[in-house]
Order: sequence, then C-alpha cells, then structure tokens
Amino acid sequence: MAEYDLTQTIVPFLDRHLVFPLLAHLVDNELFPAEQVQAAQYQLAKGTNMVDYAVSLFEQLHPDEEIPAEFQGKRENAVHTNERLQQEAQAVLNVIEIPEVAQALRQDKNQNLAYLKEHYGVTLEQINALYNFGQFQYTYGNYSGAADYLYHFRVLSTDPDLTVSAHWGKLACDILTGKWDTALEELNTLREAVDSRAPSHSAFSTTSASDPALAQLHSRTWLLHWSLFVYFNHPQGRTLLLETFLAPAYLSTIQTSSPWVLRYLATAAVLSRKASAVPGSAVSTRVRHSIREVVKVIQMEEYQYQDPITAFLKELYVDFDFEAAQRELGKAEVAVANDFFLAQFKDEFLENARYLISEAYCRIHQRIDIGELSDRLNLSHDEGEKWIVNLIRETRMGADAKIDLGKNVIEINRPPLPIYQSVIEKTRGLAFRTQALGAAMARTAQPQAEVQADSPK
Amino acid sequence: MSRFFRQAGDSDSESESSSEEELMSSEDETPKPAAPAGKPAMSRFLRGAGDSDSSDDSESESEDESEMSEDEDDKGKKKSRFLRTEDDEESSDEEEGKRVVKSAKDKRLEEMEAAGKMMDNALKINDWVAISNEFDKLYRMVQRQQNVSEPIPPFFIRTLASLESSLNAAVSKEKEAKKKMNASNARALTAMKQKVKKVIKEFETEVKKYQEDPEAFERDYTAAVTVEAPSAPKAKKGKKAEEGEEDAEDFTTVGKGGKTVLYTPETIFKNLQAIQEARGKKNTDRSEQIRVLEKLLEVSVTSYQRIRVLLALISSRFDYNSSVATHMPIDLWIAAQKEIDQLVGIITEDTRYSIQETTEDYDELAERSPETETSDTVRIRGSIISFVDRLDDEFTKSLQNIDPHGTEYVDRLKDEKSLYCTICRAQALYEKTKQDDPLGRVVMRRLEHIYSKPDTVVQALESAVAVSDLKPSILLSESATKDLIHRLCVHLYKSGNSLLRTRAMLCHIYHYALHNDFHTARDMLLMSHLQESIHSADVATQILYNRTIVQLGLSAFRCGLIKESQAILQDIFATQRVKELLAQGVHTQRYQVLTPEQEKAERQRQLPFHMHINTELLEAAFLVSSMLVEIPLLASIDSEEQKRKTISKSFRRLLDFADRQVFTGPPESTRDHIMQASRALQDGQWEKCRDLIQSIKIWSLMPEATSVKEMLAKRIQEEGLRTYLFTYAPHYSTLSLSLLSRTFSLPLRAVTSIVSKMIWSEELSASLDQQTDVVVFHRIEMSRSQQLAQVLADKVNALVEQNEKTLDQKLGNVTSWNDRQDGAKGDKREQTAERRRGGEKRGGVRGGARGGRGARFAQGLGNQMANAQRSR
Repeated sequence: MAEYDLTQTIVPFLDRHLVFPLLAHLVDNELFPAEQVQAAQYQLAKGTNMVDYAVSLFEQLHPDEEIPAEFQGKRENAVHTNERLQQEAQAVLNVIEIPEVAQALRQDKNQNLAYLKEHYGVTLEQINALYNFGQFQYTYGNYSGAADYLYHFRVLSTDPDLTVSAHWGKLACDILTGKWDTALEELNTLREAVDSRAPSHSAFSTTSASDPALAQLHSRTWLLHWSLFVYFNHPQGRTLLLETFLAPAYLSTIQTSSPWVLRYLATAAVLSRKASAVPGSAVSTRVRHSIREVVKVIQMEEYQYQDPITAFLKELYVDFDFEAAQRELGKAEVAVANDFFLAQFKDEFLENARYLISEAYCRIHQRIDIGELSDRLNLSHDEGEKWIVNLIRETRMGADAKIDLGKNVIEINRPPLPIYQSVIEKTRGLAFRTQALGAAMARTAQPQAEVQADSPK
Repeated sequence: MSRFFRQAGDSDSESESSSEEELMSSEDETPKPAAPAGKPAMSRFLRGAGDSDSSDDSESESEDESEMSEDEDDKGKKKSRFLRTEDDEESSDEEEGKRVVKSAKDKRLEEMEAAGKMMDNALKINDWVAISNEFDKLYRMVQRQQNVSEPIPPFFIRTLASLESSLNAAVSKEKEAKKKMNASNARALTAMKQKVKKVIKEFETEVKKYQEDPEAFERDYTAAVTVEAPSAPKAKKGKKAEEGEEDAEDFTTVGKGGKTVLYTPETIFKNLQAIQEARGKKNTDRSEQIRVLEKLLEVSVTSYQRIRVLLALISSRFDYNSSVATHMPIDLWIAAQKEIDQLVGIITEDTRYSIQETTEDYDELAERSPETETSDTVRIRGSIISFVDRLDDEFTKSLQNIDPHGTEYVDRLKDEKSLYCTICRAQALYEKTKQDDPLGRVVMRRLEHIYSKPDTVVQALESAVAVSDLKPSILLSESATKDLIHRLCVHLYKSGNSLLRTRAMLCHIYHYALHNDFHTARDMLLMSHLQESIHSADVATQILYNRTIVQLGLSAFRCGLIKESQAILQDIFATQRVKELLAQGVHTQRYQVLTPEQEKAERQRQLPFHMHINTELLEAAFLVSSMLVEIPLLASIDSEEQKRKTISKSFRRLLDFADRQVFTGPPESTRDHIMQASRALQDGQWEKCRDLIQSIKIWSLMPEATSVKEMLAKRIQEEGLRTYLFTYAPHYSTLSLSLLSRTFSLPLRAVTSIVSKMIWSEELSASLDQQTDVVVFHRIEMSRSQQLAQVLADKVNALVEQNEKTLDQKLGNVTSWNDRQDGAKGDKREQTAERRRGGEKRGGVRGGARGGRGARFAQGLGNQMANAQRSR
C-alpha cells in the first residue's frame, strides 16, 4: 500500500523536526524497508544539532563502522554556542522575571521597549538574543525550552519578520511537545498573521519570487500541512479543520499547490458526520454541508489527485456506484490505517463511511436486501443486520424503515411530503422575515427623523 | 487667378479664406515666372526633341554637356548612348525638381512665414483648430528643413515662444471663462498644448538661446545662411567628385542611373546619404533606389560598409510599397528576408559591431572600424527587431491578401519556414548581445508562429532552425512541442513587458487546449485573472483571448466535458458574431454600413486563413453539447414558467424554429442534422439521434474524430435515458431496470447509477426496489386547489424576497455613504459602457465599441467559467 503513502509529498512542506514523528511512524508500519527509513532519519538528524541522536542512528545504520569525527567537533561546537547564547539571553530573562516588570509591561510594544531600556538597559540586540537562543534550543531538540524563549521574544519584539518566524517556531515546538491547546491557539494567531498580509491585486505581477501573493500562497501551503498535526490531535480538530480548509482562501490553496491535502479534508468531512448529524449542535453550515463541498472539489481535482478515500466519496456521491464505493472503502481502510495523521481514526472513519453508504442506499431504495447491504458495508450477514438495526434506531428513519426478517429485506416507506406540509414549509418564516423588514425600516427612519429634528436648531 | 480666389475666399470665414489665399499665393509665385518663359520655349522646341522645358532645360543641357565631356574621359564609346537615355529619363524629373530647387529655401521660408501669420490670425479669433493645423504644417516644414541640414530659422523659434505664452494665457482664460469653448476647439487647444510642449523640448537649446538674446540668434542664422549660399552655386560648377552629393541635395532625385561606375567603395557613404535624403520624397523612384543599393552592396568591402548598406537596403525594400492596404511583392519580401539573415549573420560574426536604435551622433560619411572608435564596439543606428517585425507583418499581410484556396497561398505558406528561421536567428543574436527588450519581442514573434500549429508542423519548422548556423538557446527537444512552448512562455513571463506576458499566457493556454489538456489550460486561465482585465487590452490581444477561449471550449468537447464546453462556447455564440470576434471574417451588419476606413481596419485585423478555427466545426460542437444539456432539461420541466429558464438561447431558438416547420426533409446542413437529432432524442430514439450526429461530416476535421464520435454516442445514450425517464415517468408506476438497460443498451450498473443519481438529486421522485429490480415512481397528482396553493406560496415567497431586496438596496445606499465614491465611479463606468454601445449602434467609434463588446464577451465568460466550476 506504499503507493498511497503521502509522506514523501508532505515532507517538503514541513520543518525538519516535524518530519521525525512521520518517519518514526513509517518505521512502525513497515511500509518501506527499515534500513531506508533509518537512513532517512539519519540524514535528517545530521542537519540538526541533535548530535547524540544522530550518532545513535549512525550506529544503528552502520554497526561496524567508526563514528565520523565530525560529530565530536559538532557536539563541542553546539555545547559552546549553547552556553554563549544562554548567557546572552539570560540577561533579558532576568529582567523579565522581576515581578514589577511583568506588571509594568503593557500592550504597546514600543512603550515596553522604551520602558525596559530606560529602567533596565535592555537593548534590542539583547531581545534578539532570546530569539537566537530559542532557535538554537529548537535545533537540538529542547522544544519546551524553545517555546518559552520564543514566547518571551514575541511579547517584546517589534520586528515583524522575526515575530512571524518566532510564531512558526513556537507552533513547531507546541506540536512537538504535544500541547495541542496551545498549538491550536498558536495556529490561529499564525493564520491571522498570514491572512492579514494584504494580498497583491496585480494579476500580472505574479512572477517575481518576492511577490507578496506568492509568498502568501507559500505560507498558506505550509500552514495547511503544519495544521494537520494539530487538527488530527486536538479533540475539536476535525470540525475546525473543515472550517479552515473549506474557507475559500485555503480551498484554492489546496487546489493550486497541494491537492493531496484533499485526503485529509475528505477524511475530516467523513469523520464530522456525527458532529453534524446531531441536531442543535452549533456547527456552521460550512461543516454541515462539508461532504457536498468536498465532493465537488474532489470531482474538480480528480485529474490532479486521487486516492482511495477521495475515490470512495466520488463513487458514492457522483457515480452512485455502490459496488465501486465498497471496493474503494476496502482500500481506503488500509490507506487510513497507514497514514500518520489518520491512523488513530481508522475505526471511526469506517463507521462513518458505512453510515454514509447506508444513508445513501436507503434514500434511493425502497426495498433493500439485507445481505446485499451488508456486502456493501463490508460486513458479514449477522453483523450487517445488527448494524442496520442500530442504524434504524439511531437515526430518524425509525418510523419509515422496517425490517422484514422473513424475506430478509428492509422496507423503507417514505411517504411523499403532503402538499399542505410543503406549503407550510414554504411559508414558514415569512411572517418573521416581514417583521424583520419592518424593524429595519423603523431603525432607518429613526435616525433620519432625528436628523430632521436636529436640523432646525 | 489669385484675385479670383481672394474674392471668393472673402465670403468665407476669415481664417479659412486666409489659409486658402496664402496657399494660392505661395503656389502662384513659382509658376508665374516659369509660365511666360515656358511658352516661347515651347515653340522653339516644338519641332525638336520632345523636351518641353524652358530655361531649366537649357541649364540642364549645359550641365549635361559638361557631364558628357567628363564622361568622355572615363568611358569610351558608351557615353553617347548614356547621354541620350539620361536626357530622356531626366527631362521630366528635372522639370519638377528644378522648379522646386530654384527657390526652395526662400519658398520654404515664405511658406513658414505664411503659416505663422495664419496662426496669428487664428489666435486673434481663438480658433485653435486652425492653429493646430497650421502648427502641424509649420512643424513639418521645419523638420524637412532639418533633414536637409539647414539651420532652423529663427522665425520658427520665435513663433514657438510666442505660441507658448499665448497658449498659457488661453488655458488660464478658459478656466475662468463662463462660456466654454465648443468641444472640438477645446480638444484642439489641449492637443496644441501637448504638441507645443513636445516641440519646445526638442528645440530646447534654441529656444533658450532665443529667449536670452533674440537678435543674436537671428544674426547667427543669417550668418549661417550666407555662408552656405555662396557655396551652393560654386558647387554646381564644381568638380566631379562633389557632383553626386550636390546632385542629391539639389535635385532630390537619384535618377542618374548611368553613373554606375561611380559606385566604388570610397563613395558608398556619399551615395548612401544621397539615398537617405531622397527617402520618402514624392518623386523618388523606389525601384531605382533599390537597384542602386544592391549595386552598392556588391561593391562594399568592409563589414561596416555592408552593415550600413544593408540597413538602407532593407528599409528601402520595405518602403517600396507605400500603401497600407496591399502587401509587399513577394520577390522583394524574399530578398529582404535574405538580407536580414545576412545582416544578422554579419553582426553575430563580428561582435565589434552592434546595431542600436539610439547611438551618439557620428559622421555619416566616414568609414568607421573598431580601431577608430573610442570604445571597442562600433555602434550603428538601426533596428533589426523592427525589420523582423515588419517582415513578419508583411508576411501576414500577404497571406491576408492572397486567395486562401489557390496554390499561391500554399506556396506563400512555404516561406514561413525561412521566416521562422530568420526570427530564430534574430533571437540568437539578441541572446548573444543580451538585449532583453528586443529579445522578448522576437521570442513573442516566434511563439506566435507555432502556438496554434499541430506538432508535426512545429517539428518541420524547428528542423529548419536546427540546420541553420545560428541557433537560439531554446530549441525543440525530443519532439515535445509542449516543452518548447513552455520554455518560450516562461522566458516571456520573466520579461518585464506586461503585454508580452499577457499574450504569452494566452498562447500557452491555447497550446494546452489544442493538445487536449483542458484542465491545465483552464487552471491557467483562471489563475491568470485575464478575464477581469482583458477588456482593457488592445484589439489584437482580445482576438487572441477569444481564440483561446474558443479553443478551450473545443478541447473540453474533445475531452467529453460536455457541460463545460457548452458553458464556454455559450457566450461567443450568444453574440452571433463568432466570425468577427475571432477575426475570421468581416461582420456584415444589417442596419448599418461600414465606412471604408472601418472596413479597412477590420480587414487588417483578419487572421490569415491557415490560422482560422473552423467555425462550422465550432458550431457543431456547440450545438451538440447544447443538445445534450438542453434536451433532458426541457423534458424535466413541465410548467410553462420554468420553461423560460433556458441555458442556451440560441439553441432553443433553433429548436423552436425547427419545430414549427411542417415538412422536414432529409438533413443537409450541420444544423439540420443536429435539429433532427434533438427531435429524435426528445422522442427517446437515441439510435436515430446517434446516427444523425455521427453522420455530420464536419467531425472529420477534428483530430480524434472516431473517439469523439464514440464519446458522443455514449453521451447520447445516457442523456437519452434521462430524457426518457423525465418524459415518461408520469405514465409509469414502475419500470424495470433491465428493460431500461436493454432499450438504451447500457450496462445495468450504468443505468442504476444514472437513476440513483437522479433520485438523489431529487430530479426524479422515485425509488429503487432491490428485490424486483425496478424503479418505483412516486408521483403525486395535485388537485387544482393544491396546485394553486403551491403557486400562491411561491408567489408570496417571491414577494417577500423582493421586498427584502428593495429594502437592502435602500438601506445600502443610506448606510454606505462612505462607499458612495466607489458607487459613483461604477456609475460612470456604466455610463461610458452605455455610450460605447450607443456609439456602436450609430456606427461611430468602432474600435472602442469593439473593445467593449469583446470585453463583455470576455467578462461574461469569466463568470460562466466560475459558475461551471462551482456547479460541478
């Protein structure tokens, strides 16, 4: 099933450190030869300051060979730099930790800077030392430490580029330490920062590399990939993912630069079925109709990207070919199980997918053979029957659907909506809308009246 | 005579009369002395030779005599024959030439002064139109004066200075004045302002000098003139070496064909200069000039000489045909093409020479070589890119004028190969010299030659380039034209010129569409956002845009994306001006007649025949896709109101027309075929429909005709099934799926899939029974009162919605005071659009109107595309 593995496509859009978990996952699921993955891990670690880790990987890889000498130098170098940077950063940290200072700091960053400079002699360079030290800590794998330093730096710094960079760094740290709540917050602020960069409107200037629109596209693509970590780990993640990814800006980013993200979008849409099926839950219409939206996008991008998960949705909702859908679902099951982000949702995905199939099936059919439906759901006959009974009980179909065990069929009797009901349906809300109209008119009439009353004076 | 005119003129408006009067008087002055002298001469020579000239003649004769005597020394026997031919040839030329010469300088001055006077007069009555005309005349004269390298008369500078001040005064007055000038006058005023500003800039130093000390300036001038004056007569009797040059100056013609011997390497520059001065003048014999230049080329020795001669020769070849409408003779074109090749070859071989559009002044008469220059390279004034442009344009023009169905056209097309080579050579040259701007232009030319051609043709063109000695860096590699086009386009995207970028983008999209890569082409088009800005582009680009869109539609059709194809082609067919929008034919309008100029402009825009997109094929594709979209839709709706919602009006109209016919014979045209097929499809006879569609002959023009036909057959089966279900659902309570599958010879699974889809999307109120494999229809027959209740509910709904909309509009206006400016702007734009449309109806400014129309088509299409995407 290696053909459906997305690790290779995703890696270019991730930070070096974020790739480690992905590779570790690959080691576990044994899709690729273990040596190759280890070699990849080693190559990856070599570029970081995690010297010890790299050395251990090297030993695993080449048990007979001697450890290259460069590691020793590198290690010393790293320790040395660490000390130097720490000293530099400590100065600022000492100041910040004084309680009065924490109280005196305000919203206005410039004012803060002036205050710090005046009272404690903290200069801009010293604050930047925080950033440097945080970044360095990150490179040797001390993520929580790095997160702290970057946080402090962001509070104090006024340099927009470095702040954004610190944002990314903090997000990576939070992801790697597994603090999903803070990571989510971080993600949202970062998204705002990315979105607020005014997009350029010139249609023809999209060629130069320094073009803001292109830069925005790049950072959005990165954001999409990084956010997968957060969204598939945070309890509320899937609905939030749908909210974000289905926003026009990000949807077009997916379409233009990274169609493979559609897999995650599709999965999230399937997974969110439960959340949206519960009436009264406060989910936006975007999430509720997510499947419809996603199917549209999948169909449009079919020529660019296809995998079992998207194919499943397509067969089910575009071609209504239940057999093919069933086949794709079987493949999708494996693909989901092997995917780093989706693996933990495998069962949930299957259940929801089955529900989607049976929902579509019931809506189209009047009389359904239980055996056939069980087949469609990749279930045995008994399991299928149990599943169907549960389904009927769970959903609102209860009144309409009956199981005839003698003939082994489900009879669905959906009486057409009576005329009067459809008329009621249509006219419902009209009165309210008219009232709203009146209220709006009154509201506008008032200010005008006031203006008229004022004017004679 | 002049008296008569003066009297007649007096009744006219003042300015006009004065202009005419000046014109007459200035013209009269020269013939007057000539006429009396002419008469006796006539009688005297009546019996003699055919020459009818007077004093001029005697002079010329004496000159000839002197020439003859000198010729005698050089050439033995030939002289006498030369003498005679020369005499005959020249007699008429000289007659006119001399007359001008006699008082040329004075006459020019007089003319100038006359124009100046008129300007003064016009100034008094504030008639800026007249002033503008006179100023143009004056400026032209001064330019001519400069061409013969005479000093600028102080009079002109004086006029210029005074004009500027009076202009400023007029403008300020105009601002204060309550009553505005009439429109044309005001326009002339602003135009004048700009013109004067431009001219003053040109003569900046002179004007400054004049303003500092007017008298000194005039003194300088008179001094310059007097120095020159005595030199002229002396030269006349001067030595032979000077004669060529002097002749050129005085006679303005180079008719002395007999002096071939004189074309030696030493005199090349003099001859060149003579020819250059004669360029563009009325009496210049162009073919003679070309002949002279060809001879010069033969004798030229150094590279510098050859470059100079070639530059002159090529431009005189292009000058040969002065009229815009007709094309350049083909033999001349081929010669020019060869010479451009030669020129490019020389320049690339010897990098020490370079041709540039702007250089510092150099002595036209001196031989130059890298050694004599201060910098290493010899810079020569000229422009290869403009030659290449012109060559290409002339090629297109000739194709426009040749009958496309004759063999001549095919023969002409064969020249494209060599033209393409020339373009590639020029590209190689510019790549070498790293001149980005001309490089971009030349790459664009190259791209335009290949973007719309099938692979084999491109390969043929490229193979010709591959064997030439000069190769550009971008070449066809392993027969992948897509790659070649891609690299050319990427090169243009990187260049700074936004027009070239736009055109390159369109060519790129076109090429993708041509190769059935619909998705890439569509994505590129949508990403380029061209549909938003295309209305402000020039007409040629708009035509290219339209071509691209149409090709995109065809590519969607070929790929089997019927809905997309229909949506894309819809707009251009809605205009009913397909040919005109694609620049493949002049539109004949019913209610208006084009003026000759408009027609001429239109004709110039036409594409040569081999670039055309077959409109009949286009129409067939559009109508068939409309049929496949529209017929099921027609069947699905049953009430009258819904029927008004049409997707394709043009198709619906044709269908209605076909329905009204009492007798229908066997189909003849493509349209007949499609209409009858539509009828068959409506009746559920999909086989008949398929046969009719497949028997359309025009499909053979499509590259993949058989696969397209198969695709269409499949579509017809599916849509036939849908139509059948829609039409006959009310009459059945159940329908067996297997029966359906047999009737439409579709696999059972496909039938189930189609029916399921219809049920799911609530197009069909039915459900499937899995045990018996039938479709069960749930049709509710509504009673009259129920039906009415439904309608009523709908209407009430509509009413509320309308109310909301109205209120929104009103509130929107009140609340968005800040947006008011934008709104006003929008209004204005609409107004101008309205005006444009109006202009179109009146047949007024057609160029603008065209732009407007193209824009609407373009914009509409943009929306359509977006919709099509969204709806899928």
